[in-house]
Amino acid sequence: MRTLLLTLLILLAVTCAVSCTGQPSRNQLTVAVISGAEGEALKQAARDYEAKTGTHIEIAQFPYANLFEKELIDLKSHTGAYDLIMLDDPWFPRFANENVLTELTPLMQKRGQSGPDPDFVEASLNVCRHPFQTGALYALPYVGNSQLFFYRKDLFEKYSLKAPATWDDVLAAAKTIQEKETGSKTYGYVMRAAQGNAAVADFMPIFWAFGGEMFDANGKPAVNSPEGIAALEFMLQLGKYSPPGYASFNADEVAAHLLQGTAAMSINWPVWISPFSDASRSKVVGRMGFTTLPGAKKPGQAEIGNWLIAIPRYSKNAEAAMDFLLWATAPEQMKVSTRRGNPPTRRSLFTDAELVAKNPAYPVQLRSLESSRPRPRTPYWNEIENAFGIFLSKANSGELSAAEAMNQANAEIEKILQRAK
Amino acid sequence: MPRSRRFFNAQNKRELLLPALFLAPALAVLLALSIYPLIYSVTISLQQETAAGVTWTLGNFTRLFSDGFFWTAMGHTFVYAVAALTFEFLLGLGLALLLNNQIRGRGFFRASLLVPMMLPTVVVGVVWRLMLNPNFGAVNGTLKQFGINTESLTWTASPKLAMLSVIAVDVWQWTPFVFLVLLAGLQAIPQEPYEAALIDGSSRWQTFWHVTLPLLKPSILIVLLLRTMDLLRVFDQIFILTEGGPGFATETISLYIYRAAFRFFDFGYAAAMSFVLLALTNVISATYIRLLEGRNA
Repeated sequence: MRTLLLTLLILLAVTCAVSCTGQPSRNQLTVAVISGAEGEALKQAARDYEAKTGTHIEIAQFPYANLFEKELIDLKSHTGAYDLIMLDDPWFPRFANENVLTELTPLMQKRGQSGPDPDFVEASLNVCRHPFQTGALYALPYVGNSQLFFYRKDLFEKYSLKAPATWDDVLAAAKTIQEKETGSKTYGYVMRAAQGNAAVADFMPIFWAFGGEMFDANGKPAVNSPEGIAALEFMLQLGKYSPPGYASFNADEVAAHLLQGTAAMSINWPVWISPFSDASRSKVVGRMGFTTLPGAKKPGQAEIGNWLIAIPRYSKNAEAAMDFLLWATAPEQMKVSTRRGNPPTRRSLFTDAELVAKNPAYPVQLRSLESSRPRPRTPYWNEIENAFGIFLSKANSGELSAAEAMNQANAEIEKILQRAK
Repeated sequence: MPRSRRFFNAQNKRELLLPALFLAPALAVLLALSIYPLIYSVTISLQQETAAGVTWTLGNFTRLFSDGFFWTAMGHTFVYAVAALTFEFLLGLGLALLLNNQIRGRGFFRASLLVPMMLPTVVVGVVWRLMLNPNFGAVNGTLKQFGINTESLTWTASPKLAMLSVIAVDVWQWTPFVFLVLLAGLQAIPQEPYEAALIDGSSRWQTFWHVTLPLLKPSILIVLLLRTMDLLRVFDQIFILTEGGPGFATETISLYIYRAAFRFFDFGYAAAMSFVLLALTNVISATYIRLLEGRNA
């Protein structure tokens, strides 16, 4: 009996000894990255850095749906498991508000830099500051996405249409193309109106151009303003020229329609630019044009969607992490990242002759990024986007009128803010 | 307390040590993975994070009453569970009765019927999502072959058809399970009662109603119970097929709980909702057992 007990105890002790001694070494960093081109680029940078400096970099890769929860759970429980994390910019206010990120300026000053390199696009740096634009710097921008307007150049020329400058142009062009392009069924427009992120991302540029604001001057929700309702009514009109079922579309469905040549226009992200010139995927090689977002009452503004890199507050290797962060966001490394189709966040790269030759849309992308606008900066963005997206999707699927949807959305956003107090 | 003193005497202690040691690992795992999280979730459901810090409150539970999304999601869950269960049970029972007979190709049918159940739910979700695509999906493609106008049949994108679509997929995947359990139940019924019924001159319907059904009751109870519990917490296939949309049309309570916990990081509220779901599941299960057992007694 006693032998059995003893054996068990020894076994327990051994297991513990084996698993409990793994102290983080000085020359080791752990980075949380997104799966996909953006994360692959940082992974590559980590490999190169490892070869150059001997700093071992551990990569933890997660799909978009899980990255946010993994990072926030870890950061809130102060385990210090990650030394660097990739963040989608709408998540940033939540992380900054929880006070779980390291302020970067002091670390830069130690290295003789007064602040972030002025070469970074200002709009990209703004989303790294808390409070927005004016506050302290808690991240550096790594991938400079902002929305673009995609349209079929060939069809626009065929029907002598100008590149759309306003949303009215878009609606008129959608009507013309859909009515005249009867031989091969082509929809005038295609959008994503699945609840959540998709519907909101495709609606915000229309909403802003029509003069809508999510919050009024006092910070009260105001999506059901006359401008807001007019914007949603416009979206529904445009929906008549979008393929049936668009109320459940996400990025994949929109891309499928554009690549197959069955839709003529859409709001989309730069990551989809390069597939259009790939003949194995695209039936419209060389026929897609890219421009900045159309305006209406106000000039058109794209939604910014940058990937940021931050250092968690409880990282045990903040200094080493900062060294890697500065190295990875330096022009030479970011240039390597652009080869995977990731737009840079530096002006010098957007205007780099070699890169522009390879990426003809760069001038448009830079203009779009510089004039872009972030999603409302609130730590409750996930809740608000979810609720807002549900009502936008309901309006687009015909369940609610524009005014009903906006009134209900407003009430719901109000509830979220009330609870937050 | 003379009994307990006798229970813990030296002799007994030695005899108890071995079983206790055998039980210890299982108990430790149970404690760590089940009991501790349960207690922890009770705790967080009674707490709210405010600017001043963590406070003890019933706020998470009172919030349920004014949360329209919660009640709508609850409603969807019940519509989903009742509809899917009804179809799965009727189809499963029909198939089990059919394939319990000596018909040709019985083995083949039995085996092929089990395929949907063997597939991971995620795969089923993805495949059906593609098949139900309104523009290039197999379902509308087939309907078009028969000359049916599919313009308005947008399935998962239509607020009217989305719920029907997700229910149909569940029925497709889980009818085989009901069938399998009921078939096993049928095969366990001895021949004698049937012979007796035959001698007494009962009709086929009477035999089914008075012999087969009562003897199948234990299997029916098991399968209804298991399916109900599964249906009430359905998550994966809906998450993949519609993610709760369009709008909120197919959002079930599990999806809403997931969102509250992992998208909004409101673990307290998510825990509170989970306890309501747990209570309802318990009440329903107890009712089943009473109904089916009660009639037996």
